[in-house]
Amino acid sequence: MALFDSAPRVLLAATALRLILLVYGGWQDANSAVKYTDIDYMVFTDASRYVAKGQPPYARDTYRYTPLLAWMLLPTAWEGSGPLASVTFAFGKILFALADVVAGWLVVQLLRRCYHFPTERALRYVAAVWLWNPMVANISTRGSSEGLLGVLVAALLWATLTRRAVLAGAILGLAVHFKIYPFIYGVSILWWWDAQRDGAAPAKSSSLLSRVLGFITPSRVILTLSALVTFIVLNAVMYLQYGIPFLHHTFFHHLTRIDHRHNFSPYSTLLYLASAGEASYRFETLAFLPQLLLAVAAIPLVLAKRSLATAMLAQTFAFVTFNKVCTSQYFIWYLILLPFYLPSSSLMRKPTLGITAAVFWILGQALWLSQGYNLEFLGLSAFVPGLFLSSLFFFGVNVWILGIIVRDGGNDKNGEIDLQPGK
Amino acid sequence: MKRRVTYVQHPETPFEPHQASLSSSAVSVRDLDAAREDRITFSLGDLPEELRTVLEQSHELRLRWATERSFDAIAPFASRISPGLHVHYTPLAADQSSEALCSLLRTVFGNREDGEAVVDCTTPEDSFITPPLLSTRFAASASLQYYTQLPSLRSLVAFIRRTACHQRQIGGTECHDRAGSLLTADAVDFDYDSISHALTISGVWASPPSSGWTEDIAKPSSKADQVEFGLLGAEQGIEPEEIKMGGLLAVVGEDKKMKPTMFSFPSRHHPLPSDASYSVSFTKPTGLHPTMSITLQRTSLERPPAPEDATCAIHAYLTLPSSVFGDQYQLGTTDPLFLESHNLAALRAHAGEMDLEAPDWAVQRWGSTWLFELAAPNGDGSDKTSNWTATIPLHLRYLPPSETGYRIAEVPWPVVFWACTAEDGTKMGVNPFDRTNLGWDGLFGPRTMFYQLHPESGRLVEAIDVPVLTLKEGEGLFRAQNIELGTSVVILLGFLWVLWRLVQVALSRSGQQRHEKKE
Repeated sequence: MALFDSAPRVLLAATALRLILLVYGGWQDANSAVKYTDIDYMVFTDASRYVAKGQPPYARDTYRYTPLLAWMLLPTAWEGSGPLASVTFAFGKILFALADVVAGWLVVQLLRRCYHFPTERALRYVAAVWLWNPMVANISTRGSSEGLLGVLVAALLWATLTRRAVLAGAILGLAVHFKIYPFIYGVSILWWWDAQRDGAAPAKSSSLLSRVLGFITPSRVILTLSALVTFIVLNAVMYLQYGIPFLHHTFFHHLTRIDHRHNFSPYSTLLYLASAGEASYRFETLAFLPQLLLAVAAIPLVLAKRSLATAMLAQTFAFVTFNKVCTSQYFIWYLILLPFYLPSSSLMRKPTLGITAAVFWILGQALWLSQGYNLEFLGLSAFVPGLFLSSLFFFGVNVWILGIIVRDGGNDKNGEIDLQPGK
Repeated sequence: MKRRVTYVQHPETPFEPHQASLSSSAVSVRDLDAAREDRITFSLGDLPEELRTVLEQSHELRLRWATERSFDAIAPFASRISPGLHVHYTPLAADQSSEALCSLLRTVFGNREDGEAVVDCTTPEDSFITPPLLSTRFAASASLQYYTQLPSLRSLVAFIRRTACHQRQIGGTECHDRAGSLLTADAVDFDYDSISHALTISGVWASPPSSGWTEDIAKPSSKADQVEFGLLGAEQGIEPEEIKMGGLLAVVGEDKKMKPTMFSFPSRHHPLPSDASYSVSFTKPTGLHPTMSITLQRTSLERPPAPEDATCAIHAYLTLPSSVFGDQYQLGTTDPLFLESHNLAALRAHAGEMDLEAPDWAVQRWGSTWLFELAAPNGDGSDKTSNWTATIPLHLRYLPPSETGYRIAEVPWPVVFWACTAEDGTKMGVNPFDRTNLGWDGLFGPRTMFYQLHPESGRLVEAIDVPVLTLKEGEGLFRAQNIELGTSVVILLGFLWVLWRLVQVALSRSGQQRHEKKE
């Protein structure tokens, strides 16, 4: 198809899709009691309104984000009427949708430069997974901020693969400030960025001391410092501005929350049980162990030097799969990394495997959702066995797919072709 | 001690002179068909010790209780509250944290069938909610509010018999009988404030026992006490905001004969015709997001007979226990499409437990209150026969696991009423039957008139089935230990599987490296 010959055309089509959804969303909001706009967007815009009045964004209940988000969305607090008001109200959505498109563009660039994909092939994958994915466009135009994470992760990968240590660190610091979880990428990027990536010859000696000293490279130090400085400065500014509520809502809430309401996580039923005081040995208090051992230690160590993007995908997949809370918005987190992995994956090479994985993943979702519907809307007591078993089954499917990603990540053919400095 | 017994008859109810007679020592009524109010005022010194200590720490303490049965509320007893026990409290010192009130309430109202205290409260600061104050200057309502479901006053009656009747040795059986009569009352109020230093208890019986009221009301045993008796009829006054009452009054033991009387006064609460009624239901299946439907008879939508220039609007006041909650952001919207689709005009006030995520056991306070203005259609609409329904979307909290997989959440019917502005200078307080501190009246200006709609007959509490985690004690495949063990095993296996895959990759890599070295 000629459409895939030119990046501008694909990007334009992606923009058009989002524009149509934005206009349609505005129409639905104005004409139906069932709103297109996400509840979270109302939280963000309410928070922005508080900020505009000189109050903290945390005056809005359930605002559990960095104040940056409320600041970015300040134009939505403009109180006017007429067509201009609808545009200012949609400002955040436009921003999120734009972030989507930029994220897609960055991934296309990376596929071409670092994976030596022909433009057409790069465009096909990115369009299918991200740019033209109706789910992605829907989420950002409904006003969910998850899309911003997409552009941050894509930019982080781009800055890393093009050896911009200061920039990569700054993006990492910003991303962690924004949503905590991207800290897992810091480990794999640091591990990946050895002296050879900066053009040094492979180390000859292999004494322990020289290995340890060899680990400390200028790039690693710069990246770490840059990330820490960004993260600390952002937090210091926010803390000085909003004090303890900022720390509580942005960080502590996410670390201490016990989201007992049903969700995809295998821990969901156990958390309900434990919260009601019925659990005996409190396995859920150790939930961070398998999650972090995989996402922060084992996967980066084994995979990062082989293929950074695949390692990051596996990390995200492990983080989400083993998390105590899992809702569908989390699936967006690994979608942005899929175009790096899919083309050379065994899921694509062996269509039966790929289709089986997709079918089981969708089946796991469908089983859980049908039980969720029984509970939520029909009022049936579907916690056991329905939701319990389907969340364990979905977990099993995810673990199996994660195993495939890990195996593929060990295959050298999946790695990015290194951009040496100066190239 | 002062006692006032008032019988109020419908103007059309037949009355024979021999049905009420006054002697030098008592007044007797025979087979009287009337509503009855019995009001007793105690000074602090008359009260049992444990009650007195709590009252002495209170600036204001008002209890309002109503039965779960529907009853006719006629003038001048027209005001209504949701069935159950409502406590309105203002401590003497704002920073005073005291367990005495809660401990007293727990003692007075006893335990449920499952052994839990009916009044689940530790201190007012922790368990009570703070209603929005319209004007702190007038402080029309108390600063703290509590509610619990309470189908019967059995515990209260036992408490009165145990303490007050025991204390006053004389008239033991009469004290027991009068305490026992509260069991058939439709509404009971307790009022104390630190200005009057007096506790007033009043009970209202909306309708007589099957054969009518028959009783002898004796003159007080002490000179310091007073017993007043009234047999009255009530009707609409000349002014729209007024109620006119006429009949016989007597001070028992002082007056030789009953004095005919006629008086009128502006009233805060007015009844509407008996066909101006409403009913409440939850659309099935309720799921985790029950929707409350308030269905009004067409007559209920007709503007009440308030003065021409008064502004009137119909309201519903919800009292929700913590297991059921509203989303203040969803319900407080100004989006006309949402409001229209539910026949609501606006959320006017809300207070209490607003958390959108917490399970019921993590919620400290008893629940929340919500005042909605309903979007009543204009009276000139073409459709005058069918009912009209307003809906309020609500949500359920997670409740603790149970053996059946379900638990019941009980929601009292809201009160529905028209609120109309009254002329400046209307003094509602001169009404000898005035009733305030109902929870919802304080959300309006002090000169608002309320026209009460009548809940249709039946039990005025809706029961919702809440799905919960099914847990059978020590039996079944999905008992607590198995869920915990199953989750742990599956997660550990998943973890080991991924780890194994990683080890394979790591090994193959070092194998490869060895291979390269050999070459």
